[in-house]
Amino acid sequence: MRGFWPIYKREMFSLFVTPLAWVLIATFLAVQGIHFFIIVAHYAGGAADLSADGGPVQAFFGQTVLLYLPLLFVCPLLTMRLFAEERRSGTIEALLTAPVSTLGVVLAKYGAALTTYLVMWAPTIFYMVLVARTGGELDVRVVGTSYLAVAAVGAGYLAIGTMTSAFTKSQLTAAVLSSMIVIGLFMLGIGDFVFDEGAFHSISQHVSVWAQMNDFSKGIVDLRRLVYDATVVVLPLFVTVRTVDSWRWG
Amino acid sequence: MIEVEHLSKSYGAVDAVRDVSFRVDRGEVVGFLGPNGAGKSTTLRILAGFLGATRGRVRIAGHDIAEEPLLARAAIGYMPETSPLYPELRVVEYLGFRAELKRVPRKARKAAVGQALADARIEHMADVLIGHLSKGYRQRVGLADALLGSPPLLILDEPTAGLDPNQIRDVRALIRRLGQERTVLLSTHILPEVEATCTRALVIAGGRLVAEGSIDEIRAMRRTSGLHLGVRGDADRALAIVRAIAGVAGAKATKGAAEGLATIDVDLAASADPVAVAEGAVGALVGAGLGVHEVAPRSASLEQVFSELTGADDAAGPPHEEAGT
Repeated sequence: MRGFWPIYKREMFSLFVTPLAWVLIATFLAVQGIHFFIIVAHYAGGAADLSADGGPVQAFFGQTVLLYLPLLFVCPLLTMRLFAEERRSGTIEALLTAPVSTLGVVLAKYGAALTTYLVMWAPTIFYMVLVARTGGELDVRVVGTSYLAVAAVGAGYLAIGTMTSAFTKSQLTAAVLSSMIVIGLFMLGIGDFVFDEGAFHSISQHVSVWAQMNDFSKGIVDLRRLVYDATVVVLPLFVTVRTVDSWRWG
Repeated sequence: MIEVEHLSKSYGAVDAVRDVSFRVDRGEVVGFLGPNGAGKSTTLRILAGFLGATRGRVRIAGHDIAEEPLLARAAIGYMPETSPLYPELRVVEYLGFRAELKRVPRKARKAAVGQALADARIEHMADVLIGHLSKGYRQRVGLADALLGSPPLLILDEPTAGLDPNQIRDVRALIRRLGQERTVLLSTHILPEVEATCTRALVIAGGRLVAEGSIDEIRAMRRTSGLHLGVRGDADRALAIVRAIAGVAGAKATKGAAEGLATIDVDLAASADPVAVAEGAVGALVGAGLGVHEVAPRSASLEQVFSELTGADDAAGPPHEEAGT
């Protein structure tokens, strides 16, 4: 873990003094703002049924594609530069010849991306406040589990992005590669609705982000899903550590 | 300080470093000399812990770089060849980051950065964005980075590349000063640089260590190997006179720029005294009524020194070009 803190700080600094993070956050919030507006307009029209597990919060966290689309593109863009840029410019040489551990380097870079991701979501809490203030029923615990799911899913996507960034010197290739993996995982989850039974159906059901978000946004915390999310975090990061180590021997 | 045993590194089918062994003791300033592509940077990168060796052992300050990489790396101030830096940081921010990375204690960090800025003579650039710096200044930021935390061993990959003559003089003076209390290993392909800064030289060519010696021995390799004469008058007669002088192995005349002027390139025999030959040649030419307006000793170029040193390895080297080309 040696070197974690200074590298983490530098990554955060670099993310926020260059326009990339701001552009991503602004775009993301614009899309989520429209998303929330559409949902609120829908419920205000009175056509929707307001059952216990079908309110605007549930709709926001999982029942429209506008939640997933930004996720699938924002995560690869947040992580693409982590290693690719350092290898292209050569700064990786100065970094890896300092007395730092590989795990420290990888976790610091991943940690910075994850922090930015959480910062990006933070303003959406304002939507929840709006729902509560305007007379809606808001269960704080359900909001909590919803954000837990958003964080857990994003953590996995960012780990995949960190890994693909270590695979190539090109940021674009890294972003395309991680988008493909992340979209692939998402599509696999869609299989839940396509296949009625069989092994493929079971697999799809387990990895389905859609199902996970719908569960968590109703307050159902399924430990199996969290274990799956943790796997999607740990496995790519392990591969990243091994990849960084392999540069010394390449 | 550095112990290298039978170090080899291959990139696929290409052997960049072949069975290199050497030692650098505490307090030495050692020049790592070789033409471009000789394996200098590869060797230094292995020592700095950026590349792994294919075979062989490297110990830095008593720590094996494969077994105790963090301790070995903590003892080194390494300056990579191209001085890669983060363009979005200011110089002082970058050095602060590097100092923290090298575990300079928080309280000492500001002083350490200030000292490094002063040593590399870039105090006036402290608040400039690295992306706005010229190549020479970036090079010196890289040098300042290597000095941070006062590591006992400095490994500098071509520290004067891209600098102007004044800056080169400054950096050489700094290296000599640092060498009084620290161990320095620097690479260069410029022979006079080694003479100006180092106490000892390692010469590498084609991935092999081909020579190792004190600066006096390196100087001897660079002894005057020829003369360059500017002559007015009959070039053929001048050539005949010069060829007759003892110690001249051969001479060749070229027509000069103006009518009646010629230059004569003289190769000295291995045992000849260049001073005696020069004086003899000038005396004989002037005695024969020819005008001499230019006399310059010609030093062995690095290529000549290398070809001399690597002569024994010709069989392993690339095939020679045909004579006369």
